[in-house]
Amino acid sequence: MLFQQIFDGLTLGMVYALIAVGYSLVFGILRLVNFSHGSVYAFGAHIALVVAVSMQWGIFPALVISIIFTGLLGIMIDKISLKPLREKKSKPIAALITTIGVSYIIQNLLMIIFGSHSKWFPKIFDYGIIKLGDISINSTQLFIFLVSLLLLVFLTIIIQKTKIGLAMRAVEQNPKAAHLMGINVNYIISFTFFLGGASAAIAGTLISGYYQVVYPNMGFIAGLKAFSAAVLGGIGVLYGSVIGGLVVGLSESFAVSYFGGGYRDAVAFVILILVLIIRPKGIFGKKEITKV
Amino acid sequence: MKNRLMENVNNFIMLMEKKKSVKFSVYGAVFLVMLIIPKIGLPMFMVRIMTMIGMYVILSMSLNLITGYTGQVSIGHAGFCAIGAYTSALISLNFGTNFFITALLGAVVAGIFGLLLGLPTLRLSGTYLTIATLGFGEVIRMVILNWESLTNGPLGITKIPRPVFFGIELTSLNGGLYYLVWILVIITTVVIYRIIRSKMGRALMAIREDELVSKLMGIKTVNLKIYAFIISAFFAGLAGSYYAHMIRYIDPNTFTFDTSIMIISIVIFGGMGTIKGMFLGSALLISFPEVLRFLQEYRFVVFGLILVLMIRFRPQGILGGQSRRDYKMPKGVNLEKIMKEG
Amino acid sequence: MKKSFVILLIALMVVSMFSGCAPKEQDVVKIAVAAPLTGDFAEYGTGFKNAVELMVEQWNTDKGGVLDKKVEVVVYDDKNNGEEAATIAEKIVGDAAIAGVVGHFASGVCMAASPTYQEAGIVEISPSASHPDYSSEGDYIFRNNTVINVEAREAIDIAVNALNAKNIGILSVKTDWGTSTASIVKEIANEYEGVSVVEHQEIIDGTVDFSPVVTAFNKAKPDVVIVVGMYNVLAPFATQYKAINSDINFVGFSNAYSQELINLGKEFVEGVYLPAIFFHGSTNENIKGFVEAYEAKYGSAPSSLTAQAYDSAGIILSAIENIESTDRAAIKDELYKISYPGVTGETTFNENGDAQKTFAWLKVENGAFVEVDK
Repeated sequence: MLFQQIFDGLTLGMVYALIAVGYSLVFGILRLVNFSHGSVYAFGAHIALVVAVSMQWGIFPALVISIIFTGLLGIMIDKISLKPLREKKSKPIAALITTIGVSYIIQNLLMIIFGSHSKWFPKIFDYGIIKLGDISINSTQLFIFLVSLLLLVFLTIIIQKTKIGLAMRAVEQNPKAAHLMGINVNYIISFTFFLGGASAAIAGTLISGYYQVVYPNMGFIAGLKAFSAAVLGGIGVLYGSVIGGLVVGLSESFAVSYFGGGYRDAVAFVILILVLIIRPKGIFGKKEITKV
Repeated sequence: MKNRLMENVNNFIMLMEKKKSVKFSVYGAVFLVMLIIPKIGLPMFMVRIMTMIGMYVILSMSLNLITGYTGQVSIGHAGFCAIGAYTSALISLNFGTNFFITALLGAVVAGIFGLLLGLPTLRLSGTYLTIATLGFGEVIRMVILNWESLTNGPLGITKIPRPVFFGIELTSLNGGLYYLVWILVIITTVVIYRIIRSKMGRALMAIREDELVSKLMGIKTVNLKIYAFIISAFFAGLAGSYYAHMIRYIDPNTFTFDTSIMIISIVIFGGMGTIKGMFLGSALLISFPEVLRFLQEYRFVVFGLILVLMIRFRPQGILGGQSRRDYKMPKGVNLEKIMKEG
Repeated sequence: MKKSFVILLIALMVVSMFSGCAPKEQDVVKIAVAAPLTGDFAEYGTGFKNAVELMVEQWNTDKGGVLDKKVEVVVYDDKNNGEEAATIAEKIVGDAAIAGVVGHFASGVCMAASPTYQEAGIVEISPSASHPDYSSEGDYIFRNNTVINVEAREAIDIAVNALNAKNIGILSVKTDWGTSTASIVKEIANEYEGVSVVEHQEIIDGTVDFSPVVTAFNKAKPDVVIVVGMYNVLAPFATQYKAINSDINFVGFSNAYSQELINLGKEFVEGVYLPAIFFHGSTNENIKGFVEAYEAKYGSAPSSLTAQAYDSAGIILSAIENIESTDRAAIKDELYKISYPGVTGETTFNENGDAQKTFAWLKVENGAFVEVDK
């Protein structure tokens, strides 16, 4: 029972981690809470739905096409709505509200195009159940675990080892200086949004393949919780998102067992508030110095 | 032709700003119009919209104090609203207390929560504070949903009595609810106006502009931010209580994240740190969904579009931006004279 | 520049608000539909709208309207939001040509609007409201939905008689309907000898991850789980539970009766039982006609709630025909007397305004609902 709860929690945590990475990426570079990420994630899932179910092309083409389209959506969001704000040097709150407006648009368009009902999605990587004594482990759960880790390693390599990653880190530290060093800052930000969108597409496809349910509003609560996970781990720190996701997932699993399902959604937010009070930068977050 | 018209309008507004008599007659006219609105046979739903606008003026005004003037962005304001609504509804149902007392109590309890939220979150600034308020709003909703012995959980609270004023039940038919909300609006506006024109208000604005510098100037930033939070929560709670007694039914889904977003959108739309902006923002954003009804399912796509475009082209809000108020010289200093004499 | 822009905007708004109030036409009878057409519950609202429009169309073509007047549907989107619903209610009661209202989806939204309907005296029939206090809001407030106690008893009957359950588990959504139904199910289950409720789990509406819940049920080992939720709870829950324990049986509620249940749950909802007041595969001519017309017009099968909305509109129109008047108070009085043979069975309202229904038992077999003997 206990091990089963832990395992349930870990899988759920990986689900949050997958979404949280997208928040973290964008926040790391822009210091912007991207509220549209939840609906971008839903968008990714719906693209995958069209390719995998309506067009019957199979799950891997669905994943690839979804990554491309969702990544492009990310770039579009930045180019159309956020870049002008950066140029005007408007307050962070303006950008925050913009992303909320964007999420209204995406979510309602999804609803109009696809309908608000829950839609079936094919199960991915289904090799049945592995039973270890009392514990049942779903093969899809393992698969999600592995893919999330791979994605994380892949993103970390991009950021730490590649030239564009170096540029991303430079922009994160000081956009102005990076610009003076000949880095095309807008290009780097667009690239970051592409990565954010792509990771949302991966999350959308995998998670839909696990739960087999897709609906336009799927990104809202999942997005908020993933966001809590990102903050918990230290927003802007990629591996922090994973740890944060796992903590949130585990606590949720235990909360359901000991307090009942009604408190489930509260757990993530209670953790969020506690973390913010005790250690605002998150577990692995770097302390920022206020410059005068 | 069109430009001429706009020029005239602009000139008139300038005139209004300069000449007190013009200003007061315009305000007086607006006041009179507002006074007769429920009595001139307008369709009831328009009176209802005007009432809702009034409620959102209070809410946005309250948020404006901490967001517009103090620079602390909150997206969990619906939480305070819910606390006010539940407190007031529960007291009036259990003890039969009059609305005017329960609403005050609701507002006070919300204010206490403002203190509770204000205290720990003072360690936070900027985006992190915003996130914490988001969490706060959601946690309040979850507690209301789950604390069934007190709040009746998902079944909500039904048959909340209408406000009674000296034996007269205030309903939407007799226009009582409309007058009540606008009286509350006037009270809120006066209080907030007095605060921001006071020493405290100037200190709050200093915190907004640069917290570190204001601290160095000897402003007790911590205390002031908490006061701002308490006052803000108080008025949000007041609006919540009013809502509960107007609609007569509240449940955990009454005050959601969407409500908080609506309030902050009004503040930004109207113009952070302005009072007129709150009236204008509420009028526009509350009536938008009604006005946009002909768009049917595209209603909220367009609503999102309006938000995005607005911030794209006018991030400071409609009335935000530069202050038109002239700087008042200390007594005895005549600037014009000094300028002339060189 | 900016101020004039603002003034222009306001002028535009005022004009468009007034343009909504067209001159009153007394040669039509209007039925209002108030339901969520945007937001998370749009699918149900769209069902309401479709159903009422179909009913009205049939009256217009078959009988040339009612009282020799054309019937018209006015549709209002409330986004399943109480604030908007209250405003809409004011709009509806202000239009003298509207004879009655079908609508509002969630009980909470209905109850935000119902004081206005009651005050102005116009009949509101909600096809879906389930809050115990809803129908006692006033004598103008009706619901054409199943009464929870009756339906809960049917669900337990299925579990005990059709599935031979001894140990029952309950999964309920934490909404007014879910919570009150779950507590009644528990109460009634105790009346049965040898039957016990071994586990009760609650979930928040919108949950897709049921793993902690399944783990808890799996420990308590019920024979049957009674699921108090819509299709979007029942289908994923069944999918996730059956992956762990394929022997488990489920009993749902009529609210989950929808083709979407099978579309979403596929092979995992095989063998799920439901009590239902409407069955689209019925051989009854009346029902057959409705299902065929609905499918021809909208390309999808009507669900239980959609059928209830269809009947609600029919009830209002029949009442008008019976009393030969569109007087709102007279319509209300007639509703307490009427016995309406609809697609959801013979409907009568009791003194509270609750509809009395009889149930059929349905089961999912080979990807379709079939009726089983009681």
